[in-house]
Amino acid sequence: MKIDELNRESEMIYSGHNACPGCGAALAVRYLTRALGTNLAVVLTASCWSIIAGMPPFTALKCPVLHCPFPSAGSVGSGLKRGLNAKGLQDTTVIVLAGDGGTFDIGLQSLSGAAQRNEDYIFVCYDNEAYMNTGMQSSSATPYGALTNTAPYPLFKEGQKKDIMQIMAAHGIPYAATATVAFPEDMEEKLKKAKEISGFRFIHILSPCPPGWGTESSDTIHLSRLAVATGFFPLYEVRNGVNWKMTVPTDEKRIPLNDYLSGQRRFKKMDEPRRQILQKEIDRDWESLMKRVNNSK
Amino acid sequence: MPPELTKETEYYQCGTEPSTANKTGEWRFLTPEKGRKLSPCRQSCLLEGEIPLWLEAVKKDKWKEAWQIMSLYNPFPALTGHVCFHPCIENCNRGQLDQEIDIQAIERAIGEWRLANYERLVKLKEAKGRIAIVGSGPAGLSCAYYLNEAGYAVTVYERSKLIGGMLALGIPDYRLPRKVLQKELALLQEEGIKFVAGCTIGKDLKLTELYDQYLQVFVATGAWFSRKSAIPGEESRGVWNALDFLSMINSGQVPAATDPVVVIGGGNAAVDSARSALRMNGVNNVTLIYRRSKVEMPADPQEVEAAEREGVELIFNALPRKIEKKGEVIRAVLLDHCKTSLEGLTVDCSRAFRKNCGTVIMAIGQEADLSVFGNMEKPTTLFAGGDLISGPATVPEAIRSGRLAAAGIRAKIEGLPETEPVSAEENPVLFSELNLKSKINLELQQRQADPSAEAGRCLGCGSCTSCGICYIFCPDLAVDQIDGRYQLNPDYCKGCGICVKECPSQALIMKGGR
Repeated sequence: MKIDELNRESEMIYSGHNACPGCGAALAVRYLTRALGTNLAVVLTASCWSIIAGMPPFTALKCPVLHCPFPSAGSVGSGLKRGLNAKGLQDTTVIVLAGDGGTFDIGLQSLSGAAQRNEDYIFVCYDNEAYMNTGMQSSSATPYGALTNTAPYPLFKEGQKKDIMQIMAAHGIPYAATATVAFPEDMEEKLKKAKEISGFRFIHILSPCPPGWGTESSDTIHLSRLAVATGFFPLYEVRNGVNWKMTVPTDEKRIPLNDYLSGQRRFKKMDEPRRQILQKEIDRDWESLMKRVNNSK
Repeated sequence: MPPELTKETEYYQCGTEPSTANKTGEWRFLTPEKGRKLSPCRQSCLLEGEIPLWLEAVKKDKWKEAWQIMSLYNPFPALTGHVCFHPCIENCNRGQLDQEIDIQAIERAIGEWRLANYERLVKLKEAKGRIAIVGSGPAGLSCAYYLNEAGYAVTVYERSKLIGGMLALGIPDYRLPRKVLQKELALLQEEGIKFVAGCTIGKDLKLTELYDQYLQVFVATGAWFSRKSAIPGEESRGVWNALDFLSMINSGQVPAATDPVVVIGGGNAAVDSARSALRMNGVNNVTLIYRRSKVEMPADPQEVEAAEREGVELIFNALPRKIEKKGEVIRAVLLDHCKTSLEGLTVDCSRAFRKNCGTVIMAIGQEADLSVFGNMEKPTTLFAGGDLISGPATVPEAIRSGRLAAAGIRAKIEGLPETEPVSAEENPVLFSELNLKSKINLELQQRQADPSAEAGRCLGCGSCTSCGICYIFCPDLAVDQIDGRYQLNPDYCKGCGICVKECPSQALIMKGGR
């Protein structure tokens, strides 16, 4: 990425989209569409991006967009790619954009089906850790202990965040990777790699949501960076479901998770024992990830 | 309105207009803008020079631009590149990361570029008026430069035969190569500034006569009057005052000096004298005696270090009582131990000691010589600057004083409003405030020999370095790149503030309102 060469024309999204100020999802889509080039078709399932993309006749994306129902992201993507192939448009890259609801919960069956069939497209989940568009209801991507509108104080979100990357890796798909908005170069590199591979590719992007997380809109990048530094959201890629590799090295001595939690209103009322539980959960996941990474060497 | 089914494509086509029609800038209630934060180098600069700006220009190899920025504050980078003590380097934030930027080397490089690529200023056919400047030291030269630039015909009067004042006579050759000074003076002459050497105002010409002949007069005669110490033996032969000693050496004469040499004083004149004496034939031992401790020396620490390295012996907490002679020849200085405290100086007379010497150089302070004014009766307006006003100070301070005087004279003649100097009391950007995490490709790096590469190490504290972070992290594409500079697009900025928070140089601030 050469910064001097970038300008409004080389981007694949337009200004004037409907994202909230400081939206991580808008940034994520900006980076990933830029990395994939102009020959692109986007499938949008019900999510924040259904709104961000704009009301007809306006569109925020410079490529064709196909809106589809909530549970069908995986299958509509499959259909679109096969349809394009049938029309002789094999070169077009198809990406499916889904939020965490459309990936972790409602969209999981069609996603799993498409992954199992090894459909030839890129599935991108931009994860803001709740149903932010409909009013901050918990999803299975919401971390343990967060406050949401379906788990208001004194309740807390129960159960740990679903490890979607392990689920996808278990499908043995050719490429799966995590990315986040504070590391645009890393994200673009992964998308470019994914573009070169055929078969089902899955990208999991952590995209901070200022209104949903209760943070300053200016903190988006800062939080995204902290999520990586604490080990809450490690950046890695998985090839063929077995080859695990870290892409942005995190110090073995990760900074305490509290640094990440303390800036967010959704964790503000979280008590110390719950913080400990979450920290232990992150530590355990980190260790198991490290084992997988080391076994792949 | 339901979307139309088009026959060509056979699908519902909607969303064909770019969303740029949606001016999301209307959502904003806070607006990021370029702030006016001071960098530590800019804040500590005696000339108030915009150091980060010219470093930025050098980084891009735009030497002309660098010179143009530089010349707004300092018309003589070749001179200051040698003689300034560069408090900017001491305060550089990069020092807390790896190593300070070598601002001095880059300043010198700009000076050299200027000397090699000099272009005569385009001027009016007719001068706006004639101005006289008394004294050709750094203050006089800088005032002459700025007035000449503004279109005045300037004449500089100098008492000595050599032009340059303290630059020519006070500062030793090893600190300021004479070639550089001569080149700089040649450029000023080329510009049309007239120099009258060997003309003492107050003796050969009266100041009032200058007032009759010229539109305005700037007096910068410096502080050339050496203070006396009242030590017995001070008037003997072989006792020099530092300025006379230095002037003789610098004008090519050889002052009589017999080994060993003792220098009394702790300022820059003392250290210059000591180092100059050490360079003379037949002098092998030079001792510098100062009544306070090393940290209290007013001289520049780098100069003191250099003197020590060269072999100058330093004696602290000692006060001369008497200069001892045998016949007419100096033999020794009798010294007392002394202590300085808040109450003042306490001298311990019981343990006097001798330091043998053949020559004594007294460098115990200078004062302004007011004889230039004669018995002049109330001038309407008097412009004066440099050491004459401030007492012994540094070259950059004198250059700044000349610049301010030029602005004042112009304001007086042309009726312009006087520009307020930017307050240096504002706090500079601290190292801890810089958001270095968002800086791309930041590597620890030691000083580079190439000026452009070295300038590239500048973190740009408080000023935009066109790094593009604001562009990269803007979710709304509301930052435009125009000719390599980044600019906010108010039509689309939603005021999220990511750019302000992520700017590695802290060059942006959030302002209330749209």
